Amino acid sequence: MPDEEAEVAAAYTSDLLSDVVAHCPDGAVLVTVQNHKNSVAVCTLVGAPAILVVHRREIPADMLEVARREGVALLRTKDDQFAASCKIGAVLMRPLAGASCDESSK
Amino acid sequence: MSAAVPSPVLLEPKSVTGTGAGNDPLVLLELIQRLKVRDVMTTKLATVSRSATMREVQELMRQKKISGVPVEEDGRFFGLVSIDDIIRALGGGYIGDPCSKHMTTKLVVLEDDMPISFALRYFDRYHYGRFPVLNRDRRLVGILCQRDINRALLVELSTELNRLEAATGRHLAQDGVSNLYLLREFPICKYDFENAGKAANEIKHLLQERQIPPKIIRRIAVAAYELEINLCVHSDGGVLSWQISNGRAVIIARDAGPGIEDVEWACRDGTSTANEWIRSLGFGAGMGLANVKRVSDEFEVTSKKGSGTTVRAVVIVEGLA
Amino acid sequence: MTMAEMAGALKAEILVEGEGCHKAIRYVVASDLMSDVLLVDEEDMLLLTSLASDQVLRTAQIIGAVGVIVVNGKPLPSSMVEVAMQLRMTLATSKLSKYDACIAVHGALGARV
Repeated sequence: MPDEEAEVAAAYTSDLLSDVVAHCPDGAVLVTVQNHKNSVAVCTLVGAPAILVVHRREIPADMLEVARREGVALLRTKDDQFAASCKIGAVLMRPLAGASCDESSK
Repeated sequence: MSAAVPSPVLLEPKSVTGTGAGNDPLVLLELIQRLKVRDVMTTKLATVSRSATMREVQELMRQKKISGVPVEEDGRFFGLVSIDDIIRALGGGYIGDPCSKHMTTKLVVLEDDMPISFALRYFDRYHYGRFPVLNRDRRLVGILCQRDINRALLVELSTELNRLEAATGRHLAQDGVSNLYLLREFPICKYDFENAGKAANEIKHLLQERQIPPKIIRRIAVAAYELEINLCVHSDGGVLSWQISNGRAVIIARDAGPGIEDVEWACRDGTSTANEWIRSLGFGAGMGLANVKRVSDEFEVTSKKGSGTTVRAVVIVEGLA
Repeated sequence: MTMAEMAGALKAEILVEGEGCHKAIRYVVASDLMSDVLLVDEEDMLLLTSLASDQVLRTAQIIGAVGVIVVNGKPLPSSMVEVAMQLRMTLATSKLSKYDACIAVHGALGARV
C-alpha cells in the first residue's frame, strides 16, 4: 500500500462524478462510494492520485485494471464517507474555520 | 395526469368482515381492472354516414355538445371526425365536403371488453380526448372519454363507501392499530422526477399521525419510497397502492413496463439497469428491490419480460410495540 | 448539537427552518446517492450532500433526518425550498466542500461540551 499521506495534501468527497470533475482540487484523494471504472477515469482527468472507495464496496475487475493502467492508487475502507473524510482530515491536519483538530502533525 | 394524488378507499363488504379470499380487500386498482370499457362508455351515439357533409357534422356537434362524431353505417366503423377536423375544414373552405373525405381513419380504438386500467394507459399515451370502442366483431359500440371513466369511478366509489359504512357502522381509519384501516392509491408516471417520492412522503405523514412505532413507520416509508422510485425510473409508469389492515401494511407496486428479465438478479444489492442520467439524479445504485426486501416481513416479485411487474411488500405493524 | 447550532458552527445559511431544527443530531451521513441514504438505519440524521434536488428532501423525510446541508455553495432550485417547506425539513447551504464540511461537523460535534 503506497504511503498516500506523504504525497497528498487534500481530499475530495463526492459521489457525483460530474461534481468531482467540476470541483476536485488537483492532487486530492477522491473519497467516494462509486465503485466503477468511470471514477478512475475522472481521477485521471482531475489529477487525483488516489481513490478511496468507502462502505467496503467491491472493486470490479475492470476498475482495478484501469487503476493499474492509469497509475491511480486504489484503496478501500469499511467506513462511510463521513468517517473516512474525518479520519483523513485528522491525518492531513487541515485547519478549518469553525472546527478544531487535536492531532499533532506528522 | 397528476401523480401522487391519493384516491379514496374502495372495498368489497365481505373483506371488511374478513371473509374474502386472501387477506387484502379489493383496491381501486382491482376495480379499474374489473370494470370494462363497455361498463363505462357512452353508448347513445350520435353518428353520421360517410356521405354526410362536414357541415352536417359540425351542426351535430353543436346540437349534441360533443367533440367527436364517429362515421359508421350499420355498425360498420369507418372513421372519426373531431372538432379539429371541423376547424381545419372551415379554415380550408371545404366544410361542404363529404366527411368521408376528411375523417380520421388512422385511429386508436379500444375494445369493449378491455379493462379500464388498460384504457387509462391509452389516454396517457395518446392524449386523445376520446376513443371509439369496437366489439369483437369490429362493430362500433360506443365512445369512451376520460370523463366517462371519472364519472363511473365516482359512482362506484360512493356506492361502495355507503355500503362499507353501513356494514361497519363506524368511520374508516380508527385509532388503535388492530382496528386501523387505511388505503391509498397513487398513480406514478414515468420519469416524473418532480413528483417522485411524494407518495411515500404522504404515506409516512399519514403513519406519523397514528400510534405506530417510528421504526415500523421507517420501514414502511422506505419500502414505499423505493418502490415508487422504481416505478418512476424503471417502468412505463404504474400504480403504487398501500393499505393497512389487520395489523399489516401492504405495499403493492404494479406496472405494465418492460418486465424484469432476471428477478433474482434484480433483487440483489448493487445491480441496476439505470442509465447515466438517472444515476446523476442520485438514483440507480441498484439498492431498490434489495432494500425493499430488507425492510419487509414478506416480499414477492412477479414479473414477465414484456408484460409488466408486480412487487408486493408487507410490513407487520401489529404486535411489535 | 442541534441543526441550528451546527449551521452556526459551519457558517451555513439556513434557508428553511423545519421541524427538526432544534433537535439534536445523532448521526451524520455524507452521501450523494439517495439510494444509499435510504439504507442507513439511524435516527435524527444530518445529511450532507452535493446533490441539489427535491429528491434529497423527500429522502430526508423518509429517513427522519433532522436536516439537510447542501455543500459546495451550490445555488438551490426554488422547488427545493418549496419542498423543504412542505415537508417541514430544515434546509441549509454551505460554501464548504463536502470533505471540509465533514471535518467541520466532526470538529463541532467533538468540541461540544
